[in-house]
Amino acid sequence: MNAVLRDETSDAPLSARDLRHDYAGTPVLDGVDLALAPGSVLGLIGRNGAGKSTLIRALLGLLAPRGGEARVFGEPALRLSDAAKARIAFVPQQPEALSWLTAQQMFDYVGRFYPRWDADFVRQTLSRWQIQPHRMLAKLSPGERQRVDLVRALASQPELLVLDEPAAALDPVARRELLREVAVRAGEAGTTVLFSTHIVSDLERVASDIAFLHQGRLLLHCAVDDTKERYARLWLPAKLAASAPSVALARRKHEDGSLSLVVERDALDRWPEAAALPGARVDALGLEDLFVEIAE
Amino acid sequence: MDASLLTIQPNLVEPIYRQIVEQLRRLIAGGQLAPGDPLPSVREVAGFHAINPMTVSRAYGMAETEGLLERQRGKGMVVAATRSAAQNQSQRLALLEPQLLELARHAGELELPADAVLRRLAKLLGD
Repeated sequence: MNAVLRDETSDAPLSARDLRHDYAGTPVLDGVDLALAPGSVLGLIGRNGAGKSTLIRALLGLLAPRGGEARVFGEPALRLSDAAKARIAFVPQQPEALSWLTAQQMFDYVGRFYPRWDADFVRQTLSRWQIQPHRMLAKLSPGERQRVDLVRALASQPELLVLDEPAAALDPVARRELLREVAVRAGEAGTTVLFSTHIVSDLERVASDIAFLHQGRLLLHCAVDDTKERYARLWLPAKLAASAPSVALARRKHEDGSLSLVVERDALDRWPEAAALPGARVDALGLEDLFVEIAE
Repeated sequence: MDASLLTIQPNLVEPIYRQIVEQLRRLIAGGQLAPGDPLPSVREVAGFHAINPMTVSRAYGMAETEGLLERQRGKGMVVAATRSAAQNQSQRLALLEPQLLELARHAGELELPADAVLRRLAKLLGD
């Protein structure tokens, strides 16, 4: 058969359908759907233990999920070709590979496997990021170790860059530098980036899209700018509590009977009807507040 | 214009692309940017502030639609030479809507009568 039906996401740098996973019966991923467009920068956020690392590992085929499927450049993540692997760079939270080498030896070694290895970038970044090139990787602190791995990942000039909590290892200056690299590469080389973080302001700077992993599901998976304009906190005094919309991303009842809800604009950009009632208040939310409201 | 002239505060409620447009509007209105002045490239702004280039493109696109900027062949974005204020007044006013709503709400919370607020506002606006 020549005509093959393809869905839109089949060649997306990264995509997943209905990913499910659990640890000892506790669901971590509860039906995650995801597709990253080329050149997009997806910031993944979620509480500690929300399953961000599990999701990343499942997306890259480093973990076999209990259900669903992940694809990288259209190939099943669990059976990636070498060609596809060469286009990816992944920095885990705790890199462990090649720990018997020094940073310099590791760079010299792995550089040979990447056709677009940028040795100049390695040279320039080593001292700026305070990496000691001649100590054994195993002897480095976890932060130093992750910095080495970040340099390795960036120097390979990948088409898909996946970073698990990269901010933890960097001081504010180096962190800003990393964000700059990510932003400029996404814009110029069309690098697709997925990074998880706790630091919401980092995400707001460089992410084009955000996804909030909460209770095994991806909430608020949309463009960063839209998030700030689409969602808001609706506060209703006790006497209006009965008029609260039935659908809300979060709902909190206060001691005086008043209600705080996280609401979303409808397809016509309108807030729920209750927002127009006298005494009701709609407050714009920064991303950080939005996450706190939903995660609490 | 240099990219450093812009201030980006990611944690504000206002999205970054709007922050850029609003600052350009103010810089142009205040005369710090004159008609024909070239703007820094998307790459320069994105690189300097470590923000997503698409955000900068979106801001420039919006400023262009609004008549603040125009695309000039070979030079990239420049401050628009002729800004037809009348044509864009309602669009520009619409961009003030969030601040006006906020102002109205605060005035309500302070139980201030409308005419007092309007008098003060008129004064601030230099009437």
